[in-house]
Amino acid sequence: MVDHALTLERVTKSFGDFRAVDEISLAVPKGSIYGFLGPNGAGKTTTLRMVMSILYPDAGTIEVLGHQNPEAVKDRLGYLPEEKGLYKKMKTAEIVSYFGRLKGLSNHEANRRARDLLTKFGLGEWIDKKCETLSKGMGQKVQILGTLIHEPDLVILDEPFSGLDPVNVETVIELILHMKREGRTVIFSTHVMEQAEKLCDYILLINKGKKILDGPLSQVKSGGPRTIIIDYDGDGAVFRSLPRVSRINDSGKTAELTLQDGASAQDLLRGLVDRITIRRFDTREPSLHEIFVRAVGGKTDA
Amino acid sequence: MRKIWQVAQREFLENVRTKSFWIGIFIFPLILGMSIAVPTLLEKSKKARQFAVLDRSGWVLDAVRPKLPESARRFVLVEVNLDPNDAGAEERLNRMVLDEEIFAYFILGPDPIQSGAGSQYLSRNLTDTDLRDWFGDLVTEHVQARRIEQEQIDAAVAEWIQSPVRFESRKVTRAGEAEEVSAEDQIRQWAPMGFVYLLWVAVFTISQMLLTNTVEEKSNRIIEVLLSSVSPVELMAGKITGIAQTGLAIIAAWIGSFFVIIKFVPRLMGAPATIDFSLITRDPVYLTSFVAYFLLGYLFFAAMLVGIGAVCNTLKEAQNLMGPITILLIIPLFAMMPITRDPNGSLAKMLSFIPPFTPFVMMNRAAGPPALWEYVATTALLIVSIAIALWAAAKVFRIGVLLTGKPPKPSEIIRWIRAPVGTVAVRRE
Repeated sequence: MVDHALTLERVTKSFGDFRAVDEISLAVPKGSIYGFLGPNGAGKTTTLRMVMSILYPDAGTIEVLGHQNPEAVKDRLGYLPEEKGLYKKMKTAEIVSYFGRLKGLSNHEANRRARDLLTKFGLGEWIDKKCETLSKGMGQKVQILGTLIHEPDLVILDEPFSGLDPVNVETVIELILHMKREGRTVIFSTHVMEQAEKLCDYILLINKGKKILDGPLSQVKSGGPRTIIIDYDGDGAVFRSLPRVSRINDSGKTAELTLQDGASAQDLLRGLVDRITIRRFDTREPSLHEIFVRAVGGKTDA
Repeated sequence: MRKIWQVAQREFLENVRTKSFWIGIFIFPLILGMSIAVPTLLEKSKKARQFAVLDRSGWVLDAVRPKLPESARRFVLVEVNLDPNDAGAEERLNRMVLDEEIFAYFILGPDPIQSGAGSQYLSRNLTDTDLRDWFGDLVTEHVQARRIEQEQIDAAVAEWIQSPVRFESRKVTRAGEAEEVSAEDQIRQWAPMGFVYLLWVAVFTISQMLLTNTVEEKSNRIIEVLLSSVSPVELMAGKITGIAQTGLAIIAAWIGSFFVIIKFVPRLMGAPATIDFSLITRDPVYLTSFVAYFLLGYLFFAAMLVGIGAVCNTLKEAQNLMGPITILLIIPLFAMMPITRDPNGSLAKMLSFIPPFTPFVMMNRAAGPPALWEYVATTALLIVSIAIALWAAAKVFRIGVLLTGKPPKPSEIIRWIRAPVGTVAVRRE
């Protein structure tokens, strides 16, 4: 049996009449990267806040690192909320060290580790600079280092990529992979499926508070019919006129098509070849986006 | 506990680094020092006031003139050779007043012995009455002497007739004896007012630090990061403790500088320390209760302000919610004078039992002083209220800190306070 860092059993949370999280069950294997995916307002943040015992579930059980009471292991968790900030007037090393002390490190140990971490991740020059002088990407990095200083067994990152430019996204990915290499379990949430697809070992798809599906990424992806990816130039309206196509995700230069049962890719290609310029034609496992849309059954803005 | 301490520590260090902390530390000694030094300096540097006299009696000015040099430093007579009965003379003097050649001028009536009719004092500045009073006394003295002389009354008899009946103030002591009123009694009477004012400023500004701090943490979005490591109650307790340390540091600096200034500044100014303030150090009714009431008052208002801070996202919202509390805080200031006059009166007694006013009113009544049972009862009531306020604040804080958007209505806040922990439905974002 796989050892689990986190198990949720029929966890429910309501705000007034609104069910933010509705009987969610899941298991996060130790040492994995686990993605919480879903559109905005799906219940990702609420679920993560319950794991961090910032909110408490109305029903269901949460087991973190083998403890029924998540509060007991709070010091072994690292958390980066979606809404995050730093004390503007504190120096970077001071604030990282402060986060460490709040997790139970001694002053001396926290100071030492804060300097080490900042130096290791290329912020050595900024150790004695105030947080207000940092760029957004650097601020994000400092915040993530703040969640790592006490060497947590489980790191939870809520929307770690939101609002970052591609360079900073790479930095965050690097940090996540670094955590995995050190044997930590990482859970992150995102509404950008592409990021999850690149990083995750396991995923959970969630919409309107309900679990849609979960499992190892490879299993999730091989579960449904394959799709066809077409890179093209021309008018994408042609896809709509094609027979035997059950779904179209058209992004203008790339389209992902799902065929009806029994339809052949050959016929499809034949039908397109004279009408648009095809640069790539590829059959493969469906994208997470496609899986999500299929599962939710209809249009979403995800 | 360790986490509360960590939060408090950070809070204290951050405050100590702000300018407003050091302004807070130095503003009081500065004001106190200046309030001693400036009048002395002003007195020394005050320009002598020039004045002129139109003497329509023909003799009073000449009689008074030999007495003038005594006060020559403050008031200087400018001799004007004008015909006192010429209408143009007044015009000419008015012009001199306007041109600030003279501060004021007097017109002496034609027959001051008969009556004071026709005597006038003319100036642009009618609030400073020193010159008028001084010259008036001088003239009165001479005119009275003339009247006595004219009526052929024996000077000694006249003096006896004019001597007023003065009541000597004596104080009935606890032992039931009458005692002379000393300068110490004056201090005892008025010092509480000074302490109340200081207490008020300290409680108000320092608990406000907590408010701004909490709102800042919310608008900085740092609060959720903190909540992943500490519980809301630990965070709140840490913040309240940290700011309390800041406040104690400030008032300790105030008290320290108070002694230094009282001891040295008057001497530096060349005047001996005429007033003995040692009473204030000796009697615990002042300093000890000042520190104690600061802490109690601070805790009470801190509980309210931390709750307000928790539900607001901007300082502007917080200031709106602060309104009623500011009004509440102003009442003890209004009551300050009446309570000083009657420290054991019914107003004082009544207000002592209203917890938000207790620290200020009891401090105010130090001159009384209130009976021991009053100290015990009001303090017990205050401590119970503080416990309730902190408990309510913790519930509001717990829910409020994660709220974004519009601050909740008062009815909503009351619902949070009344519901058991963990069951309150937070509005979703």
